[in-house]
Amino acid sequence: MTFDKRARRRRLALVIAILIAAHFYIRPWIASRVAPDLLMLAMMLVAIRSRPGVAAVAGFLVGLTADILSPARFGAGALASTIVGYLAAYGRAVFFPDNLVVNAGLFAGGVWLRSLIVLLASGAAANELAGSLLVWVPVQALTTALVGVVVVVFFRDWLAIRLDE
Amino acid sequence: MSRSQGRSLSRSDTVLLVGCLALSVAAMLLPSAWALGFASTVRATALAPVVWLQNNAEQWRTSRLELQVIAAARDSAALAAQTLPGLEAENAELRGLLALKSRTPFGVVAAEVLHQTGPTEGRALLLGAGAGAGVRVGNPVVSPDGLVGLIVSTESRSSVAMTWAHPDFAASVVTEDGSLMGIVAPTPGAGASESLLELRGVPYSDTVPAGARVLTSGLTGVYPKGIPVGRIAGIRREEMGWERVYRLTPFANPGQVRHVLIYLTRETRLDR
Repeated sequence: MTFDKRARRRRLALVIAILIAAHFYIRPWIASRVAPDLLMLAMMLVAIRSRPGVAAVAGFLVGLTADILSPARFGAGALASTIVGYLAAYGRAVFFPDNLVVNAGLFAGGVWLRSLIVLLASGAAANELAGSLLVWVPVQALTTALVGVVVVVFFRDWLAIRLDE
Repeated sequence: MSRSQGRSLSRSDTVLLVGCLALSVAAMLLPSAWALGFASTVRATALAPVVWLQNNAEQWRTSRLELQVIAAARDSAALAAQTLPGLEAENAELRGLLALKSRTPFGVVAAEVLHQTGPTEGRALLLGAGAGAGVRVGNPVVSPDGLVGLIVSTESRSSVAMTWAHPDFAASVVTEDGSLMGIVAPTPGAGASESLLELRGVPYSDTVPAGARVLTSGLTGVYPKGIPVGRIAGIRREEMGWERVYRLTPFANPGQVRHVLIYLTRETRLDR
């Protein structure tokens, strides 16, 4: 591993650490169920910079953490985040996420897909699915995408994606 | 990168994906008690710092942003409490006349709700008080509005409450005038946005007027008598002419509640 690559990974780890700290310390100040999901955002940032297998493991760990902190249906979050992480990394081959709009779409799509899978795995009824997926989840996906774009712009030098990775 | 190297990378990716999916499905198939035990252990060890961090953030938020609201609530409570000594004396006198035993007293612990971001978060809440504060499995959880749920898992500094929105929730209730009893449970197929419970087990011959308040009956020994649960919103369905099922609008909203009280009643064994 070159020095440059190692330094880039260290900087990515720092951004992830900041997002995790913000998820547990700053997000609670936003008293709303549509507050951005910064854990999911951190996972997506790792996923689109990793191989699909690594992204699946990152997704699994983030989902398991969510399940442990709110065990309404244990394992559903892990399943959903694994799939989202893998697809985000796999999707990198299809569309190169260097564009801000593509990044925002990825973040929002990831949150929405995660919620869809969690609700399905939790046995949510059709009207709960509709109410959540058409009202609350899209707003949370948008707030997450908005924060994601700010993070990508603020740390653009640190988070620049290299084709050789 | 050579072709064989690329293929092996792709194979390792697939192996990792299948492994993670298998572990996730295995986690979903775990018995509830095992899943809660595992989650509790991880919360008390590896995730203890983040639970502590979020609890601190919630306390800061409360002290900074909600001071005026808390002061107003305290003033209202102080005003209401002024009539309490007279009521208590009258109650004790009447109990004495009827030779009734006095109610078993129990302590109360206040806790912050550490909300998470998942779509099913309203079904189970992480609370910022645990076994260290005397919280035990089966303790009822209430908000200023009414019943929220009960504790299903505890560790030293945090605990998890199953709310009324959880499919496994049920409570024995009675109407405020004491005329009718029944069981409340979440409406099957209703989402958190509908915020509805069902009152079941009411005989067909009896009628509960819309708007009637429903309280816990204290019969099962899990919830003390008199905790407000909700208000009758109307008839949901009639079962073959022998039972009416009523819609109930709950007083407490688990998705929005930020502070709760945990009643330190005796520990209850939960068969899950």
